[in-house]
Amino acid sequence: MDDKAVLRARDFWTALVLLAVSIFFLIQTTEIPFLDSKAAGVDSAEWYNSAALVPFGIFGSLFLLSLVLLSIAIRDGGAGRALSAAGVGLDMDELKRLSAIAVILFCYIFGLVPRVDFIISSALMITCLIWGFHGGSRAAMLTSSIAIALPALYASVMHFGRDQWSKPLDDDWVTLAAFIVLTVVMFWHARRDREGKTVLRITPAVAIVCPLILVLAMAFGFRQNVPNRTGLVFKQIEYHYYVTVKPLFQGK
Amino acid sequence: MEFVLTQLSGFSTSLAALVLDPVTYFYLIPSVFLGIVFGALPGLTATLAVTILTGFFGNKFPLDQALIALIGAYVGAIYGGSYPSILLNIPGTAASAATAMDGYPLTKQGKGGQALGLTTTASFIGTLFGTFCLLIFVWVLLAVSKNIASPEKALLALFGIVLSGTLMSKDLVIKGWISGLIGLAMAMVGLDPLLSEERYVFGWSYLLSGFQVVPVLMGAFAIPQIMEGARHAIMVGKTPKVGRILPEIGEVIRRMPSILRSGGIGTGVGALPGVGEDVAGWVSYGVGKAASKEGHKFGQGSKDGLISAEAANNAAIGGALIPLLVLGIPGSPPAAALLGALKINNVIPGPTIDPALILHVVAILVLASLTMLLMGLFTARVFIMVLRIPQTLFLPVVMVLTTIGSFSVGGGINDLFLMIGVGFVAYAMNRMHYPIAPLVIGVILGGLFDETFRRSLLISDGDLSVFVSRPGAAILLLLNVALILSQIPAVKRLGARLKPGTS
Repeated sequence: MDDKAVLRARDFWTALVLLAVSIFFLIQTTEIPFLDSKAAGVDSAEWYNSAALVPFGIFGSLFLLSLVLLSIAIRDGGAGRALSAAGVGLDMDELKRLSAIAVILFCYIFGLVPRVDFIISSALMITCLIWGFHGGSRAAMLTSSIAIALPALYASVMHFGRDQWSKPLDDDWVTLAAFIVLTVVMFWHARRDREGKTVLRITPAVAIVCPLILVLAMAFGFRQNVPNRTGLVFKQIEYHYYVTVKPLFQGK
Repeated sequence: MEFVLTQLSGFSTSLAALVLDPVTYFYLIPSVFLGIVFGALPGLTATLAVTILTGFFGNKFPLDQALIALIGAYVGAIYGGSYPSILLNIPGTAASAATAMDGYPLTKQGKGGQALGLTTTASFIGTLFGTFCLLIFVWVLLAVSKNIASPEKALLALFGIVLSGTLMSKDLVIKGWISGLIGLAMAMVGLDPLLSEERYVFGWSYLLSGFQVVPVLMGAFAIPQIMEGARHAIMVGKTPKVGRILPEIGEVIRRMPSILRSGGIGTGVGALPGVGEDVAGWVSYGVGKAASKEGHKFGQGSKDGLISAEAANNAAIGGALIPLLVLGIPGSPPAAALLGALKINNVIPGPTIDPALILHVVAILVLASLTMLLMGLFTARVFIMVLRIPQTLFLPVVMVLTTIGSFSVGGGINDLFLMIGVGFVAYAMNRMHYPIAPLVIGVILGGLFDETFRRSLLISDGDLSVFVSRPGAAILLLLNVALILSQIPAVKRLGARLKPGTS
């Protein structure tokens, strides 16, 4: 099946999603005062000044374009192919690969970065992405996804609320353990597979040094905000920067 | 003539100040180097380079210094894309896709070094050409833009989104328009600019201030690249050997008409709102094929073909900054990232912009292109070595850069959630051939469109004729309508029928 046919089948579904989204937001827009905008009994705006005017135009246009897209997809046979996996170009291997990438990024941003030390969580994410996708091994991909999902799940379940994000360090230790275990597993596998050995050999260095340098540069060089300042590693660095290193440079 | 001399004098003062300040080199050299590396590595783009640096510099650095880094990276990355195009037939950036057409055949003929040398020189002259046009036209347009009121601004913002959607679409044109509309819709979230009415906040206080530009940029441009790189990693084996890179002066002089023609085309296309360097490269390549004496050799290793694409995509940088500085409408996706940097530093481009800032930008462009030339001619082998770094090794590091950059600008985890959400959506859109640039331009220009459109109607008491009674607005409205109509198949067929010579 050619790419265009697959695209049209996908367009069929996209058009339906866009139609639903535009209808949902058109309904939401009706909640914004439009023809009769009064605040405390006083006319606050005319229709042409209403905050709903432009959104109505945007979602109305989106609705119309979705209909056009739907008609193009149906006319080109997309609707007929839309119900079969082959019709929409669904490749299970590719889907698994994409899901694994999405899981790693999702767990990193939603589970780890808010709750766990940034250097440790980034080291784990880097190792997962490099080992999981460099050689194209399905086992590596799956192991990497699990290796980041478990500490992310632990951190999210044990410290779900925002008030618990910073202080407890148990999730930092769990993530650090996951990083060490994953690195060991990676090297154990690398002993058997010769391919991509150089890349895997430098992975732990890249995983630790890159986030470390970045965080140090951002926090102490660029004076920018960095995530989770009370994390296991960063807390120590910050403490020693102010208590040990800085006074040393100031001659105190 | 007096006007040109005055501009040149102001520019010289600004350039001298920049050259004499040692801090300039502290930012310029690493940023141009980083830009070339970003351009050279397939999977990283010029937009990503500028976006990541925007996140790094945020609003905590003086804008003067941040601009040196951002523009340096922009110039470097557009040029850097030519390395994998020429040596590996893999465009490093979309802007250098046309470069591969003749660059790679030249490499196969054993002339990779010559191609790189010529590309470097053409890119340098192209950038200077675009910069000169920026220096001259920005002031002319600024003078004109003083008469631009809300109706024109609204229609111009709309034109930018529609044009970007039309030209950036690889599949159906309506996909580009849908992408632009999604961007516009995202810009509607938060308090509206005139009445402070809440829109689509869903009880989440973070959304009251609307979607922040930097996380949206990071999500739209970085996350899809990272996902695609991990899904389908490009493995570069050995890079071909290149010979002498320094070009022969005689050849450069001989090809000067082609370079200047391409520079002119690149600047013109770059100045179109929301279009960018890739379109500039292809348009110039197409024109070059028709205009050049060796047009029949294009695609088989023609040096004219090579410089047609390369001079144009670099000249487009100066062009893209013209609408950005005059109207606050980015001429290309990296310029959109640059606008993000201006926005977070509370600089409002347009008639009220500080003239010193424009001269500063022009001076940076000149210095950046000179740095690019020197690096390209004397350290090219370093960049060729960089090509061998596997995507799977550097993309995770880019993810960390993106995360920390996005976080540090707003200082909140919510920005990261927004970034990843936008990233997943942008990736899905990419896979279905929806262009992302119109979405980003929609997000950036949405607020301006909303405010100026409603302000126009407020001033005219709801009279829609305000969009046709002013000559500028009437022309822009006509352009918008013509652009949309020209894409409708029935109108296209009618146009073809009305063409003389067709039955």
